[in-house]
Amino acid sequence: MAEETKCSCGSANVALFPCTGAANVGQISNKIAIALEEQGIGNLMCTVGIGARAPGLMKSAEASDRIITIDGCPVNCATKTLELAGFKVDRQIVISELGVKKTRDRNPKDEEVAEVLEKVMEILQSE
Amino acid sequence: MKIEILGTGCAKCKKTKELAEKAVKEAGVDAEIVKVEDFDKILEYGVMITPALVVDGDVKVAGKVPSIEDIKKWITK
Repeated sequence: MAEETKCSCGSANVALFPCTGAANVGQISNKIAIALEEQGIGNLMCTVGIGARAPGLMKSAEASDRIITIDGCPVNCATKTLELAGFKVDRQIVISELGVKKTRDRNPKDEEVAEVLEKVMEILQSE
Repeated sequence: MKIEILGTGCAKCKKTKELAEKAVKEAGVDAEIVKVEDFDKILEYGVMITPALVVDGDVKVAGKVPSIEDIKKWITK
């Protein structure tokens, strides 16, 4: 989670919603979202808060100019959660489509996360 | 009634507070307006983008300055 709440006075607000699922790719999605926030790409937000229709999260998502979901696998839980709540997802990233096989390992290695991050950055920068 | 303005003192937060004060005056309601600048308290509401306006614990808007009409609607319900 962000150390600070982002003020909307600055540039465009980009919301990052990882699936944070119970597999390696889900845990990687969370690490990628944290890394993207650290690089100033967007604001990490709580995807389960959208599932719970938590008012603060819902209003924050509504105020975002762009929504990026980071799903671990093609079950697409983060994307579907946002869509079921009525949001339009502007960009979806699926970790398992970036050369990572889905396993039950919940402790992805830093090198693996770094490799995926590089690919995600390439995707986002190509837009 | 308690109206909380969540934000760190940026231009939009100040504007939101001004509008809340105006709305309270025009609507003639008895309300306490509090500015919340503590990040931990802001996060407790699940708000990720400020400014936000909270009426009696209910987040009404986040990430933008609400209209005075909207604020009046929220405080007169």
